[in-house]
Amino acid sequence: MRIGNWQILFALMVKDWLLFWSDRRAFLFSFLVPIILASAFGYIFERPASGSASGPRLPVCLVVEDSGPFTEALVRELLASPRLQAQPVDRAAAESALRHQRVPVAIVIPEGFAQTAARLGTLQEASKGGLLPQIVLLHDASRHAEVEWASGIVAEIVMKQLCAHHLSRWLPADWQSWSMPFQVVPVPVSRHPGRRFNTYTHSFCGMTLQYLLFWGMESGLLFLRERRSETWRRMRAMAAPLRTLLAAKALTTAGVGCLQVLATFTFGWLAFGVAIEGSLGGFVLLSLAVCLLAAAVGLLVAAWGNAEAHARNISIVVILGVSMLGGLWLPAFLLPEWVRELALALPTAWAMQGFSAVTWQGASFLAVLPCILAVLAFALLLLALAVGRLHVLEKRAG
Amino acid sequence: MWAGGVAAMRGPDMRGPDGAVLVWEEVSIRYGSCRVVDGVSLAVHSGELVALTGPNGSGKSTLLSVAAGVREADAGRVLVRGLERKADPVAYARQVGWSPQQCGLYDELTVEENLRFFGRLQGLGGNRLHQNLQRVMGQLGLGSRRRQRVGTLSGGWKQRVNIAAALVHNPSVLLLDEPTSGLDAESRERLLADISRLRDEGCAVVLATHQGDEVAAVADRVAQLHKGRLGESARDPSRQPSISPPLLLYGQLRHPPPRFLLRLVRQRLPHGVELELIGRRLRLRAETAESLGYALAELLREGVAFESYRTVASSAARLA
Repeated sequence: MRIGNWQILFALMVKDWLLFWSDRRAFLFSFLVPIILASAFGYIFERPASGSASGPRLPVCLVVEDSGPFTEALVRELLASPRLQAQPVDRAAAESALRHQRVPVAIVIPEGFAQTAARLGTLQEASKGGLLPQIVLLHDASRHAEVEWASGIVAEIVMKQLCAHHLSRWLPADWQSWSMPFQVVPVPVSRHPGRRFNTYTHSFCGMTLQYLLFWGMESGLLFLRERRSETWRRMRAMAAPLRTLLAAKALTTAGVGCLQVLATFTFGWLAFGVAIEGSLGGFVLLSLAVCLLAAAVGLLVAAWGNAEAHARNISIVVILGVSMLGGLWLPAFLLPEWVRELALALPTAWAMQGFSAVTWQGASFLAVLPCILAVLAFALLLLALAVGRLHVLEKRAG
Repeated sequence: MWAGGVAAMRGPDMRGPDGAVLVWEEVSIRYGSCRVVDGVSLAVHSGELVALTGPNGSGKSTLLSVAAGVREADAGRVLVRGLERKADPVAYARQVGWSPQQCGLYDELTVEENLRFFGRLQGLGGNRLHQNLQRVMGQLGLGSRRRQRVGTLSGGWKQRVNIAAALVHNPSVLLLDEPTSGLDAESRERLLADISRLRDEGCAVVLATHQGDEVAAVADRVAQLHKGRLGESARDPSRQPSISPPLLLYGQLRHPPPRFLLRLVRQRLPHGVELELIGRRLRLRAETAESLGYALAELLREGVAFESYRTVASSAARLA
């Protein structure tokens, strides 16, 4: 590149930066929106880490239509359970709370439950397939996991009460202070032992990636408009080489992208402790590769886009699609296996894997290198496609 | 003095054999099967303002865009100071300033940012860029608007910035595509006065317009395009109609006269005499020498002072 072309490159980049800073919408879209969404996603999916003292409590309504000492003891146990946040109400109030989705489950102890359940013959009747006493779990039609959760807790407490009722005469007086005769110990297993999954880390990685792609799209649409304006023809008349014009556009897009990564991760670190626990060099290189990918997306939109509105609509659908499949919204384990395998053909999946590795998984540079190379390869491929197409278009226009 | 300084900055003199700075040689351009410019030849000299007129679609903008280098001619060639664009695109671009019909500026940037950007694109930097910015903003009266965003300017001011962006690198040739379209009468007059001043400073100006009458007062020559060809009458004066053509008088005034004075003189002019004034340039059009002389006498009697004037037959003012 001649010295004159470096000067032109610099002038073009300065111009693009000035245009970016003068566009408040682009600024908000690139910096504030990903931070807000990442914070919101992190908050929504945040669960206390397994093994923590204060486990999650399931909010339920407790409808007691039965009476008697057995039921009273059962209700006391349910209300005291550290895994339930039970609120005693009548059936109408419980149904109303479910309809308005204020609670996911209501536990109903129907009239006559204790009388039937407390009979010694119940277990024998059960084994013979006889009619059993019922505890009803009313639930929000969209909340299945919570029903299973409530069912397990209720089964445990009722069984304890039944055992106490039938076996108390043979047990010592302090039996109620006994604990379970075994422990269930959750042990997280990941590629890097000892690292905990942090929902904020995931949401900040995912939203940063998604909004980098959106910034690439915005930059591409801006370029699309520019290419159809007289400013572009004027620049071409001034003998500004096409490769310099495209290089400037790509570098500016990638530069703004780097700023975006810096801003979102800094906020995540300060507000939610999102940390680079692995290789810092790996994180930096991966960020650069992802920013180059955003620049390639921009040039691709400008090269293949037709009408601006059409190009925008298609780009949004594609970006949302590759974000979802790449595990940018929800952790990849929630996706079916075939989707996870398919996602390996997408740069977003590799980028997300890489970011997860260098953040909460604490991976080394070598461990994250395949992800960096994969993202870089995708970026270069898309760049080549876009630049080739733009050269053809310019030749036709000239 | 200023014009001399500007001319000195325009680089080595490499004019064509007849002294022309800009030459179209048998240029033809097609859009698909449609020939929009058909074998046009035209030469423009330093300090000359040529108006390229013709109806919409006659090929004016296309002819300018070929000279600007934004598209290639299918046949023929364009030379600027004897240089073809494909021989050295950068050197060629440094000699040409092109102001497109639609504003080729960034609305989001200020006047100065736009000019600085286009100046840098033309290889200017440092002190030279700064000096050129000052000069061009002075020439077009943009000093007070330098920090204003282009998107907030009126049409007239935008058009000035559009022209300034074409002038920032101090080209030998200025190509203006419909610079007055969409402007009100006052803005148009001011802009044409600025353009004629640029010509007076030594720039070769080609101005494309579909309103030939409005630029006649400032143009040294009028070239008419019709369906991509220069008009036959303009190519060969011997084929003029036999009736005597109207007479034109172009004058350069010492000072622009007050408007009321012009209104007064216009009321006294004989039937068929037209009087136009753009800045200090005046144009009189009359059917006979007597009525032209009468109009001139009226002007002189009211104290209008001429620096110079010349008379021509209108057909002679049109030239291929």
